[in-house]
Amino acid sequence: MTELGLRLAVSLTQIAAVTGIVIVTVLLLTLAERKVLGWMQDRMGPMEVGPYGILQPFADAIKLFFKEDLVPAGANKFLFTMAPILALIPALIGFAVIPWGPNVTYEIGGLSIKPFIISDINIGILYILAFASIGAYGIILGGWASNSKYSLLGGLRSAAQVISYELNVGLSIVGVLLIAGSLSLVKITDAQAGGFWNWYAFAFPAPQLFALVVYVISAVAETNRVPFDLPEAESELVAGFFTEYSGLRFAFFYLAEYANMVLVSCVATALFLGGWNAPYPGTLIGYLGLPSFAWVENTMWFAFKTYSFLFLFFWLRATLPRLRYDQLMRFGWKVMLPIALANIVVTALAVFFFG
Amino acid sequence: MAPPATTGRLNLLEWLKTITFYELLVGMKTTLSHLLHYKPITLQYPHEKRTLPDNYRGMLALLRYDDGTEKCVGCDLCEAACPSRVIRVVSAEVPGEPTKRYSKEYYMDMTRCLFCGMCVDACPVDALGMTREFEWAVYDKRQLHLNKAQLLAIGDRSYPVREKRLELQHPNTAFFNVAFQHIPQKSE
Repeated sequence: MTELGLRLAVSLTQIAAVTGIVIVTVLLLTLAERKVLGWMQDRMGPMEVGPYGILQPFADAIKLFFKEDLVPAGANKFLFTMAPILALIPALIGFAVIPWGPNVTYEIGGLSIKPFIISDINIGILYILAFASIGAYGIILGGWASNSKYSLLGGLRSAAQVISYELNVGLSIVGVLLIAGSLSLVKITDAQAGGFWNWYAFAFPAPQLFALVVYVISAVAETNRVPFDLPEAESELVAGFFTEYSGLRFAFFYLAEYANMVLVSCVATALFLGGWNAPYPGTLIGYLGLPSFAWVENTMWFAFKTYSFLFLFFWLRATLPRLRYDQLMRFGWKVMLPIALANIVVTALAVFFFG
Repeated sequence: MAPPATTGRLNLLEWLKTITFYELLVGMKTTLSHLLHYKPITLQYPHEKRTLPDNYRGMLALLRYDDGTEKCVGCDLCEAACPSRVIRVVSAEVPGEPTKRYSKEYYMDMTRCLFCGMCVDACPVDALGMTREFEWAVYDKRQLHLNKAQLLAIGDRSYPVREKRLELQHPNTAFFNVAFQHIPQKSE
């Protein structure tokens, strides 16, 4: 019984740590996005709150916290309340299966603890995809329950967009799964150890570069980011599905969007770019004679790769205009889908003959 | 993302550009170069202010001569010149001097003013001036309905160096000093 209690305590600590890190990252991202966007457009970004505006996220959080919580007349109150939660929880829950660092086990007081892996589900990637789909419900329901035409249009657009682009995400991942022979993110990451030539984006029998490109583009579409931000197209739909939301509920949607970005970047890192593995065999700290501290370097590499993806998100937003709806659909179904399918065929053949 | 218009045969270069997202990469290179050579054009307004041009047309003001008497002779020409009907002048005789006039009351509704400067041009005695004040945001619109005392106060703080009253002019009025410009001066 005590062992069970200890395990529970350890798990809860891990969950709290990961959730905390994700929320801090999201806070950081809201500032980083505005800053990077500003710099790319010859502006300064937020400058008023704190030195160089670094306290802006806290100011935003406090403002949203104290804003009036409005429910529009004629809205479905239950769904209107549920939708932000339904959007946020799947976005946060996916982080449970992400391996943040090396797959090492520490024995402390008879308990074996894996500090960087909350849970190693053997269908980890399916779990993430499944919850990402549930997250789309939050957006659709939020749009429908608001009793506003803009929200409804945003929600409908989101539904169609998520359905068509989730397919591409799933198909682009299949290549990696074929090579790795596993759905567990931990096993997939472990299999990419020993230098960047072992990362699945560049690995021998079938480099998954095309799959990576398809995945990144589809991920941008799935997280409703520019240039695929049709559900919240501010020049057409006010704010899309969260037009009617204010205060904390609005913050939840906002948080969900950024958490989704982080999650998608983590998955891309783990699947295609070797996760926490350094681009050279082993770790520098390990070579220096401190192999028990190698996890520092490994987690740093994971963070670096994830943040590179996040920077790409900002970069795309600063550069590209929004696609028209038919262009979005045509691009998804007539360009991305065939590429992803062809990638599966080629990878399957390569793995069969050389693997 | 539209497929290139092909005339019979496929344009290989266009096709290559399409599949490699060439145009997108050009755009992304531009934004990245702006990030790397970061030169913001932002002016942190309340903290730093731009230098105004010499002929800046800001808040309107009524002026005085150096002896502290008002320049305004109550001729109503500014009211006539104003395209937005900002100005309202109530003209009156100077008490005891039936030939001299002055503006008994002078109102400006600055909510309507478009800062064209026509009233300043119209004034025959240069009694109106445009200052360099522009931070006139107020919480209550009614604070922008200015009366004579307020306009004189603006003039006093914006034009510390005042024009000298001509010796010929009466302390309470002035000749229309601009109106005689076209008449050549008498030679000595």
